Amino acid sequence: MEGLFFNINGGYVEGIVRGYRNSLLTGQNYSNLIQCETIDDVKLQLAPSYGDVLASLSPNPSTSDLASRMTDKLVAEFKYLVAQATGSSAKFLEYMTYGYMIDNIALLITGTLHERDTRELLERCHPLGWFETLPVLCVATNIEELYNSVLIETPLAAYFKGSLSHQDLDELNIEIVRNTLYKNYLEDFYNFINTHPDFSGTPTQDVMAEILQFEADRRAINITLNSFGTELSKLERRKLYPEFGKLYPEGSLMLSRAEDVEGVALAVSAVADYKAFFDAVGMSQGGGGLGGMGGGPADGKSLEDLFYQKEMDMSKLVFTRQFTPAVVYAWMKLKEQEIRNITWIAECIAQNQKERIGNFISVF
Amino acid sequence: MSGAVGREAVFPTRQSLGLMKNKLKGAEIGHSLLKRKSEALTKRFRDITRRIDEAKQKMGRVMQIAAFSLAEVSYAVGGDIGYQIQESAKQARFRVRTKQENVSGVLLPTFESYTQEGVNDFGLTGLGKGGQQIQRCRETYARAVETLVELASLQTAFLILDEVIKVVNRRVNAIEHVIIPRTENTIKYINSELDELDREEFYRLKKVSGKKQRDVAAADAEILAARQKAAEEQGKNPKAAASPALFVEEADTVDVLGDQEDNDVIF
Amino acid sequence: MAVSAATYKERQFLAVIGDEDSVTGLLLAGIGHVTEPPGSQRNFLVVDSKTETSEIEQAFQNFTQERKDIAVLLINQHIAERIRHSVDAFADPFPAVLEIPSKDHPYDPEKDSVLKRVRRLFGE
Repeated sequence: MEGLFFNINGGYVEGIVRGYRNSLLTGQNYSNLIQCETIDDVKLQLAPSYGDVLASLSPNPSTSDLASRMTDKLVAEFKYLVAQATGSSAKFLEYMTYGYMIDNIALLITGTLHERDTRELLERCHPLGWFETLPVLCVATNIEELYNSVLIETPLAAYFKGSLSHQDLDELNIEIVRNTLYKNYLEDFYNFINTHPDFSGTPTQDVMAEILQFEADRRAINITLNSFGTELSKLERRKLYPEFGKLYPEGSLMLSRAEDVEGVALAVSAVADYKAFFDAVGMSQGGGGLGGMGGGPADGKSLEDLFYQKEMDMSKLVFTRQFTPAVVYAWMKLKEQEIRNITWIAECIAQNQKERIGNFISVF
Repeated sequence: MSGAVGREAVFPTRQSLGLMKNKLKGAEIGHSLLKRKSEALTKRFRDITRRIDEAKQKMGRVMQIAAFSLAEVSYAVGGDIGYQIQESAKQARFRVRTKQENVSGVLLPTFESYTQEGVNDFGLTGLGKGGQQIQRCRETYARAVETLVELASLQTAFLILDEVIKVVNRRVNAIEHVIIPRTENTIKYINSELDELDREEFYRLKKVSGKKQRDVAAADAEILAARQKAAEEQGKNPKAAASPALFVEEADTVDVLGDQEDNDVIF
Repeated sequence: MAVSAATYKERQFLAVIGDEDSVTGLLLAGIGHVTEPPGSQRNFLVVDSKTETSEIEQAFQNFTQERKDIAVLLINQHIAERIRHSVDAFADPFPAVLEIPSKDHPYDPEKDSVLKRVRRLFGE
């Protein structure tokens, strides 16, 4: 049924995205890239997809310049999509930007807490997380004002309300604030795609639910792993777990009780995918520990890498579905990964660390 | 050479001659000791310079590896964490303490890094993602900073030793080229002055003894004349002969004493 | 050499003047320190292309002359280059000024103030 009317509003956007998808780098491109000797060579190799934005860069640019130009292009393309989208698709795209907004707000909170001039921070904000009223937040001089402006001015008000007070912003570590917001965001997004009349029962719901569940699980696992040895209590930790996903509720409960890497491995063992990851990086056998976490296994793949790999695979599969704005989400993730890959390769070349250059995730 | 440095303002007496001789001896001992110190320090200094050179090269590599681990972080986090890190820094976890090392009487400070326990500003950074890479990056950078601290110790030692060696060498040179020649000069001066005095004294005594001899001769002649007169008179008056004989006796005694004195002065 | 114990006993921090990546990395290692308010001072300065040379100069003076709690000052070589005369003129043993490479500017021993002296001493 959804195929019947989707293209009236969403067809153009989807078409554009599928076009964008074709310009993503392939394994062939990557193998050319890793042969490069200088950043200029990299620039040359990237000419088909990024030529227009990279052309104005000075010879042998720094990798951060390279990355920011590529991000600019991604942002420009995404903004075009946003401009074209209507109705529920537009809402969907808006949801995608909330994650970046959270980062930006966290940045501003940090700045305000330390009484820095937050206006300087605006240029550090991620362009995708930009919203019209963001500069208004810079007017706030103390955290209470900021809190009130956030509630009034931003789309994120719902994520603050109920779980964070302005005292919390002052007292809690910014990472806890950020992750609380992110948890609320993920839950809201999940709720949105499951209940919105335009999406429930469509491919959007199918694929996005899976992706978001994965995202939720990944965050829960990462938070658990990263909180070992910090002052984060188990109770606080548990509050940061999104309340859905494949691990929820039993796995989450076990995660919240986990005291070491083995505990985490045990908690996720109910889900075959995650169990495979933990087995692959050797964390489930007692030898793991923090050292194993830090050093990673011999083939250079860390748990984080495997999660990224999985995310990319899922994003790739999204393109097999039609009549859904989820392809925009997938394209965005693929593109971000691509930028990370290129930055990584450029970094390896710039710093002469060729032995690690293959440590990127090629999707196509 | 010796003429240029002049001499110390002393009175040319035997006492100051003794003082100067002691001073010269002291200066020579001091010179050889300082020379040895300077050699020991220079040896150490060369050692340190060589190690600095090596350490600086090593630092280049270490920092590159560290920078690379930061690249891994930005790959994993997928964004910029710089600002957040800058703002969440509160208490230094990585600190240095300074210790002293004694090299030939020079106290060289050495930095020693230590970690302030219980301070962890970035424990939660990267909680959502990238935490493991950040952890690894922190370790890499901590190791890099250790190398830097080591290098800093070397460099400080280098600067201090450089300074100390300069001072010591200056002292060695001062002793060698100024103090010793000047002391020698002074000794020479005192000796020559003393000799001069001796000659003057000798001459004076000679003069005195000459005058005395003349006086004695005159007295003798007078006595002789008196005796002759007496002898002539004895012919007329033999009773008066006893008293002039007594005069002769006295004059002889005085003469002998005078001679002895003269001898004494000469030797 | 009159280096009394008091001059360096309280020197326990490292300071850094560098580009964003270098500073971030060194802060991750845990060298960052912010003194107690009021008048809290940071022991690091991030320099980018927009930073005025006078600002770097001021930070350099602050870390080397005014603050007595800094044992080692790390400065990116390409930034030291911008205030080279100050770096060259600074010859005190405390704090030790150390020129470090940055990500985009590999280390060049030819420019290092101290290494220049080393080389000169060896008559190279």
